[in-house]
Amino acid sequence: MKKIILFLALSVVTGSVFAQKKVTTSATIKFDATTAIDNLAKAENKTAIAALNTQTGEIVFEANVKNFTFTNPTMQGHFNGSSWLDSDKNPTFTYKGNITDLTAVNFTKDGTYQVKTEGTLTVKGIDKKLSTPATITVKAGAISASADFSIKLADYGITGSPIDGGKVAKEPKINVSAELK
Amino acid sequence: MTEPVKKKKPWLKRILTAFLVLVVILAGIYWYVATEEFSDTKSRDADYTVKAVELINEFVKNDSAANKKYTEKIIMVNGRISELEAPDTSAVNVKFIDPVSGSFIIFAFQDSHLAEGKNLKVGDSVSIKGSCSGGQYSSILGLTKIDFKRAALNK
Repeated sequence: MKKIILFLALSVVTGSVFAQKKVTTSATIKFDATTAIDNLAKAENKTAIAALNTQTGEIVFEANVKNFTFTNPTMQGHFNGSSWLDSDKNPTFTYKGNITDLTAVNFTKDGTYQVKTEGTLTVKGIDKKLSTPATITVKAGAISASADFSIKLADYGITGSPIDGGKVAKEPKINVSAELK
Repeated sequence: MTEPVKKKKPWLKRILTAFLVLVVILAGIYWYVATEEFSDTKSRDADYTVKAVELINEFVKNDSAANKKYTEKIIMVNGRISELEAPDTSAVNVKFIDPVSGSFIIFAFQDSHLAEGKNLKVGDSVSIKGSCSGGQYSSILGLTKIDFKRAALNK
């Protein structure tokens, strides 16, 4: 009898833990480094992995650098090249962070919630702190999250004449969005 | 007495002509590079044709060798659709999942082929061609994920 109760208790606990972690393998990351003199430096990756723990507020992202799709082959080559993201040596972007005001969100009630997040963004193997507002939307049990922010390329050791010459923005805009299940 | 004829400088004319030709060539190269776009994946020949489970197993067993072999190559992958995911309302991603390891291949469709991707259903046996972006172990999921971009349905 005790074993049955223990088994049922474990089932409830583990089920609850898994229910708290919402995941997608089709998060979208958009990167826009276009400038007034060049509109080629923009791309998107629609197969990023994202996870949100609704209990702790932990958020994690992973994106394959080589899966950013540009329209222009030359620009995609520069993006992955050794002086830019060096994707052969640093194949992923990662983000690990938390919603710092988790009580602002009610994951059981439909609505749109503005939250603050803090974490570490790793680009080209370099870790930098990132704080950004984000939007969480709850609709019929489905959770979506999005955030807009910018980064300084120089912080991640990304330099070169196209950036100095104004063809690529020094602080590209990044949009991250995910439908989590 | 006639005026002395002013001697022309043919070398100057040649230099100016050469400079002009050079400018035109450079402008042409810049225009070509700036307006070049990736060709339609559907019209490209595949470098490799593989079964989904076999490709996943190659990456799971030795990801560095598999990445060296397949990354940035056009691969035709045959398999049965395990999942469909929509990163946004205009797109669809197709997944082949290895039921043993849980590792998977995910295809993001080329914009011009989004409509055909949207008609697919879980369980369909399909052949998909795409540009392989390589595979990596995901510390979030604890398994290997292989990405494809600019994918198109082959048949």
